[in-house]
Amino acid sequence: MFELKPMLSALWRNKISALLIALQLALTLAIVSNATVIVQDRLEKIARPTGIAVSDIISVTFMPVPVNYDMASAVAADLELLRNMPGVMDATVTNQIPLSGSGSASTYFTEPNQEIGGENANYYQTDEHFIDTLGLNLVAGRNFTRADFDVIGPNDTYEPRVAIITQKFADVMFPGEDAVGKFFYSGGDGKPREIIGVVERHLGAWPSWSKAGQVAFYPLLVTGNHKRYLIRTEPGQRDVVYKQIEEKLAERDPQRVIHLDTLSKKMAQSYVSDNVMVKVLSAVMTLLTFIVALGIIGLTIFWINQRSKQIGVRRALGATRANISRYFLVENTLIAGTGLVIGMAAAQVINHFMVNQFSQPALSMATLLICAAILLSVSVTAALAPAIRAANISPAMATRSV
Amino acid sequence: MLKMHNIRKSYRTDTIETHALRDFSLQVNEGEFVSVTGPSGSGKTTFLNIAGLLETPTGGQYLLDGEDVSSLNDRDRSRLRNEKIGFIFQGFNLIPDLNLFDNIDVPLRYRGFNAKERKKRIEKVLEQVGLSARAKHLPAQLSGGQQQRVAIARALAGEPRFLLADEPTGNLDSLMARQVMELLEFINEWGTTIVMVTHDPDLARRAHRNIQIVDGQVSDLQHGTVGAAREIA
Repeated sequence: MFELKPMLSALWRNKISALLIALQLALTLAIVSNATVIVQDRLEKIARPTGIAVSDIISVTFMPVPVNYDMASAVAADLELLRNMPGVMDATVTNQIPLSGSGSASTYFTEPNQEIGGENANYYQTDEHFIDTLGLNLVAGRNFTRADFDVIGPNDTYEPRVAIITQKFADVMFPGEDAVGKFFYSGGDGKPREIIGVVERHLGAWPSWSKAGQVAFYPLLVTGNHKRYLIRTEPGQRDVVYKQIEEKLAERDPQRVIHLDTLSKKMAQSYVSDNVMVKVLSAVMTLLTFIVALGIIGLTIFWINQRSKQIGVRRALGATRANISRYFLVENTLIAGTGLVIGMAAAQVINHFMVNQFSQPALSMATLLICAAILLSVSVTAALAPAIRAANISPAMATRSV
Repeated sequence: MLKMHNIRKSYRTDTIETHALRDFSLQVNEGEFVSVTGPSGSGKTTFLNIAGLLETPTGGQYLLDGEDVSSLNDRDRSRLRNEKIGFIFQGFNLIPDLNLFDNIDVPLRYRGFNAKERKKRIEKVLEQVGLSARAKHLPAQLSGGQQQRVAIARALAGEPRFLLADEPTGNLDSLMARQVMELLEFINEWGTTIVMVTHDPDLARRAHRNIQIVDGQVSDLQHGTVGAAREIA
């Protein structure tokens, strides 16, 4: 038995405090729902498949001390050593470490002698072991061979002859077409680079980049003052191998500075800002919800104290304890419902602004409704204890003079 | 209608136990109009609370309309209050946020009547107390006498067999008090049993019978026309 009409009349006569709580809920819903969208977006970004066997990969960066260092020979010897270590599946050389936030990119064209337009892609100089080392999935064409591989000096002018690209890059360069066998150019008077293979996925150097996943690989070693290796270990062997690598490399050639990391750590560092954003927004959402709950508890207790005589009178007139509890819970639900309806409209307005001004993702009706349902349940839960307290007010309160 | 036998009520704190009613016995018959008087602190309100099922006695037996209500659970006590007892309070105890119609509607909703039945009853009792034209007014827009008439209308709407009035004229001037008293007498003539707690000896004398409570016990009976409480004890 709901006393909606008299309840609404009573609320209308106490509208300021009810409206303040409703507006607090509205604001909370508007903020929480939009924050949820951002958190969802960040979490989805963090959880995106990288295409790489991240948890099994160790990265090595080394810098030789001697000035005239034979980098090509050192790389060949190091890779030979690393590939033969127990627990190592494969190893490759690379100019940059994937997912590390550090890399190189260029603009590419499907036609020669272009300067405007084009598509950006992250690129890597590596060798024929990169697919197995990174655990990539070759979906079309072939891998590099030793014959494709070139070694050049840091100041040499060179145009790669062949490339392997990611499916995403293939799709933007040659939409709806088979990219294998096609050529692309680096602009200006650059020479054609033939696409000989396509890998399913590789997120590239910058997970947060809007073009993340557009990647090209070239079979090339540019000798310079430092080099990087990626070593893939057998599953579960990463930490064991990690401890041995520095010692083995230093033993083979002590004239260099070696730095090791796991790819997992590198990737985590790339997502630091996203993780911080998720944590901060989650804390803000929790805090706001907590404040709303406190507000509802406070207001309900205030109203119950204010109306204790009235509750006693209602009990004297025949209200059961359940009637009294229900009265306050329904009243609270009406206030919360009003606030949440206002909040849903406000959330849409704020989201529209966020989408247009900050390129944030759009707020779906499902997310909005889930957030509203959570806040409604928080509101009802917050009112529950005061409502039960109200139900325990004695009907004898009706005959008390104070 | 109401039969109390050796009712005891005590209130206990950490250090002291107060006996509000001691071996209190009383019978009120159907159709009686009984006034209850006594000095402040004598136990009048405690008697009223127990009679109205607002409080449970510490001991003794209480029969209301033949039913032993001494140890009913809260839900059943609420139901009996709603169905059999009408309350009139000194301070009127109208709900300030509700208009007259909605105030009278409160116990009828708890009774579970449908909207049509409630409306019929509310209009009838408002007519009886002469406030039909004020149905949409708030209590604060009425005089004290009018508010008490609304409270009487609220008590009557459920057609209770037993009306408990706690100083019903205590907050009214003499003219208003007389009007309210006449209304109560009129209601009693319809057959409703009334027990009225009052400080006013003139009002007390207008009842069929007056009971005086002193120190939690019935100490005296006047105008004993219907029954004698001591005979029950």
